[in-house]
Amino acid sequence: MYAIRRWWDRNSIRFGLIGLALGSAWLIRQTQGSLIYEAYRGLSQPFGNLPAETAARKTPTDPRTLELEQRLVELESQNQKLQALLGEVTQSPTKGQVAAVIGRSADHWWQQITLGRGQQDDIKIGAIVSGEGGLVGRVVQVTPNTSRVLLISDPTSQLGVTVSRSRNMGYIRGQSANRVIMEFFDKVPDVRPGDVISTSSYSQLFPAGLPVGIVESVNLNRSPAPEAVIELSAPISRLEWVVVTPNPKAESALLPSGKADSNAGSNAAE
Amino acid sequence: MTLNFNLLRWPPYAVQMLNWSITVASVLICLLILPTRFPGMTLLGVGPNWLLIWVVAWSVNRTVFEGMLAGLVLGWLQDGVSAAQPTHALSLILVGALTARLQKQRYIQEDFISIALIVFGMAVLAETVIAVQFSLQTLSSASSASRYDLGRIWLYHQQIALASAILSSLWAPTVYYPLNRWWEQIAASEQPPA
Repeated sequence: MYAIRRWWDRNSIRFGLIGLALGSAWLIRQTQGSLIYEAYRGLSQPFGNLPAETAARKTPTDPRTLELEQRLVELESQNQKLQALLGEVTQSPTKGQVAAVIGRSADHWWQQITLGRGQQDDIKIGAIVSGEGGLVGRVVQVTPNTSRVLLISDPTSQLGVTVSRSRNMGYIRGQSANRVIMEFFDKVPDVRPGDVISTSSYSQLFPAGLPVGIVESVNLNRSPAPEAVIELSAPISRLEWVVVTPNPKAESALLPSGKADSNAGSNAAE
Repeated sequence: MTLNFNLLRWPPYAVQMLNWSITVASVLICLLILPTRFPGMTLLGVGPNWLLIWVVAWSVNRTVFEGMLAGLVLGWLQDGVSAAQPTHALSLILVGALTARLQKQRYIQEDFISIALIVFGMAVLAETVIAVQFSLQTLSSASSASRYDLGRIWLYHQQIALASAILSSLWAPTVYYPLNRWWEQIAASEQPPA
């Protein structure tokens, strides 16, 4: 008895420390590192790229771009009126908020980015994240001041898309770079290099019609389904700021991540 | 040496407290560097695996059990800041155990070069363990279309393993040297003065 007690006296601190280390590590794991990310944001604040906000709102000076933007606004409003005539439920496009990218993935197998805005700026899980040029990903986790985004270039991230010109459907899967692979549902799709790819109405996680990228090359002989290499229009490997918009399909986006308990996105597939 | 002399005068519990807070702080610093991609610290978009370097630095002069414990704790931490499935704990536990088990006295000296070599090997091992976990996940999941497929996992593995191993081994001394210096001094201060 005495020996046990002496042994315990000598080792109790040690066991306490081991327990403390394991306990806090488990806690951080279960909270998905929100404390760590809050601290990270606090530290990165002084070095943050402040001009990002102004860069995001800069107006194009090229007259051609201006003309195209004006025509786009015109066409969008026409489209909305026609949809309203047909009795389609239309929601007015919500304005997004600009968020700075403060970090990349903390692990080599996942393509994620961390944004410097979170719950306090009303960002919710499932929100759409787009960069300059097109869709980038969706929010998979939020803390009070940061949010984690699973990029569409992640290999687990799959997304229903369509060829804007011919309306041929397919889905893309990430390649962990600026290129993604699109697989078609049709055997002989009408697609050629230069075609614009956008999200399709079959997508469960994203609303239809968001620009994704441009077809770079097509391989129709690929089995089991024809494939195309898509170049993402957003510069995904050097993003500095993004625009976060609320997702009308957020409920269905929430569903898969609810299944995979604390997992940050292995069920991003749709 | 002067620091060592000063530590001798401190009460033992204060030295212990200082030791633990420095250890914890070093882990936190490693965690906070993980999401950054400083210029010069990336290769193919992959940065050094700081937690792996830390586990190696910790386990080099410790027992297998202590190495595995550190691997478990840091693996859970990495699960927290990235994605928990598949877990990083398994790879880091293995790294801790193997590093502690290496017959360093017999085969390799304890210097920058050998630490860099150990880190290189362990980084390849750690990425391989994760790739195996991904493969098992793919094989066990019913819908093979919705996951990584095997060929792509192992193609990607080659890229990551090489880039991460090169970078981690090059950056290893920055974590290893100060930490080991400190732990040596603590060990020296715990010895009764001759």
